[in-house]
Amino acid sequence: MDRIWRVARYEFLHHVMRKRFLWILISLPLMILAFGGVSALAAVVQFDRTPAGVVDLSGRLDPALTAGDGAFSIYEVPLQIFESEESARQALDAGELQAYFVIPQDYFETGEVRAVVERRLNDNVEGSLDDYLRANLAASLPKDVAERVTEGMRLEVETVGSNQVPVAQQVGQVIVPLLVGILFVVVINTSGGYLLQAVVEEKANRTMEIVITSVSPTQLMVGKIIGNLSVGLLQMVIWFGIPWIGFLLLQAAMPEILGFSLDGSFILVTLLILPPAFVLVAALMATVGATATEPKEAQSVAGFLTLPLVMPYWFMTPLMRSPDSPLAVAFTLFPLTAPVTLPMRSAFGNVPLWQTVTSISLLTLSAVGALWLAGRIFRLGMLRYGKALTLKEVLREALTPQRSAR
Amino acid sequence: MASIIVEQITKSFGKQRAVDGVSFEVEKGELFGLLGPNGAGKTTSIRIMLDIFKPDSGSVSILGGPMSEAKKERIGYLPEERGLYQDVQLERALVYLCTLKGLTRSVAKTRVEEYMERFDLIAHRKKKIKELSKGMQQKAQLIVTLAHEPELVIIDEPFSALDPVNTQMVKDILREARAKGVTIVMCTHQMHQVEELCDRLVLINRGKTMLYGRLDEIRRQYAQPELIVRPVGGLPADVVGVSSAERLNGEYRLRLTASATPQDVLRDLVQRGVALEQFEIAMPTLDEIFIQVVQGQGELDG
Repeated sequence: MDRIWRVARYEFLHHVMRKRFLWILISLPLMILAFGGVSALAAVVQFDRTPAGVVDLSGRLDPALTAGDGAFSIYEVPLQIFESEESARQALDAGELQAYFVIPQDYFETGEVRAVVERRLNDNVEGSLDDYLRANLAASLPKDVAERVTEGMRLEVETVGSNQVPVAQQVGQVIVPLLVGILFVVVINTSGGYLLQAVVEEKANRTMEIVITSVSPTQLMVGKIIGNLSVGLLQMVIWFGIPWIGFLLLQAAMPEILGFSLDGSFILVTLLILPPAFVLVAALMATVGATATEPKEAQSVAGFLTLPLVMPYWFMTPLMRSPDSPLAVAFTLFPLTAPVTLPMRSAFGNVPLWQTVTSISLLTLSAVGALWLAGRIFRLGMLRYGKALTLKEVLREALTPQRSAR
Repeated sequence: MASIIVEQITKSFGKQRAVDGVSFEVEKGELFGLLGPNGAGKTTSIRIMLDIFKPDSGSVSILGGPMSEAKKERIGYLPEERGLYQDVQLERALVYLCTLKGLTRSVAKTRVEEYMERFDLIAHRKKKIKELSKGMQQKAQLIVTLAHEPELVIIDEPFSALDPVNTQMVKDILREARAKGVTIVMCTHQMHQVEELCDRLVLINRGKTMLYGRLDEIRRQYAQPELIVRPVGGLPADVVGVSSAERLNGEYRLRLTASATPQDVLRDLVQRGVALEQFEIAMPTLDEIFIQVVQGQGELDG
């Protein structure tokens, strides 16, 4: 145990005490901030805040309601009320308006509205008018009823045979699971990458022989996995913990926009699935490291391990649209796609209990199997210099349990 | 009691038999030479001794039994395939590797510092290992091999990258260790180092044992009936018992006839009043024995 700890400590400090680690730590959040900032800026720049006109021929709309409900939105287009279509047309021609709407006399009977635009009708203009009309329609109703009319329903979906789980409705409930998934993939890859590098480098620089005549291959492997995963976890805590605190502060300041609570099952599933997922990927990376002789060689093979991890993101739309499709179930059960799919599905909707249990069990079993395989392949490949292990050798080693590993 | 007992070990890699029935014993406190040409099976034998490889057959007893995790702390090993973490500071790498041998961090730090002082590496302690010369890296590895004060040291080609000054220093260290009772197995193909340092040796070639025993006995065993004689003046042409004479830089190499003994020759020279500066039985060098054995003559049993 003492040696495992020494190996783990060395591996941990080896990465954390380097400038490169600090750089990685800062660069990802900076990149996300920059990316988010640029996207937000682009949206603001592209957004046309030129007012739209409303010509009320029905005479029943309240001009005071154009101010909106007071909630902050950068996508709100100001509305101006005009007495006649001519004056609105003049304003449009003068470029003071981007569009105007004519609310006919019989609007309350027919619901028809006519829009006059210079080029095309902007979605946001339409949205602003829609809000304005709804506010007017609901003005005479009691306040709580009016709120239902303007804000719509709050939907809760219940599936037969499982617990009731609220479907994600708010932005945060979609974004947080996605962000957690992305961070998870990034962290698991970087720490797995460190591990891979550590194993291959020790072989490439010939330190391996000294190390394994000091500690057992298992102690070395476990120590390395613990050390490198700790680096990954530290990254995750810093990347995730700090934004989370920031988010909580922001939420306290603007409860209306950011008000949501994360589903308990999502948190539980995430906590349950992360440890075996980490171990699985780490052990597979270590196996790859043990078969290769040069870091570059290992890196290219390790890339294939990342593919199934991120695959659920490519299929996100079908997964969200039909979370119970055979594809979703398959992704939930397959150990390498489960780490991203299962938390995502449990945040968006219902996952039957048997799927959750099977998925986590399969993943845990695979993690144990991968550790075992890593140990064997490591013993086989640890002193193989210059020539990588072939797939045939790896398979033979994996499939013949009685064979002496050395 | 023997520190290492190797009995009839064999090991094949695919169709190639790397070690084929090798046996030898290393006595406690001796400096033992494990010799052989490149590819003879020396490194494989060492790896079997250290339990890195399992032998296909045969057995090894090390420090009184099979290899165990606990015994790793009592053994120092300098592998032939050597290298250290390249991107790490010298002192940090050495202290880490010493702690893996069971030293606490503080003891490891003190020992590493002492050795760096002795090996003239102290000025480079904060440098990354890749910035050090090959010789310096080898000295660093010797520190890892010795700093935990092992009772058994196995070193594979310890002098390969060292200059004469450092070679001498390492020899002194090995002799010092032997004086303290440390058992040392030195694996090399540099015969003169073995002649100078080792008490006993085993020579393997193509996986098989060719020679095994005390160095002086082996030399005597391979000695030809020849004398080296350096007279003050000239040497008479017809010395009794000499079939041929070869002159080399003032000394003569005399080959004896089948029935003659060195005493016959000495007696004749003294009777003739030939003044002598040197008279000795020509012992073959280990190099000569090595070449003779490796070129296919004289395999010993097991």
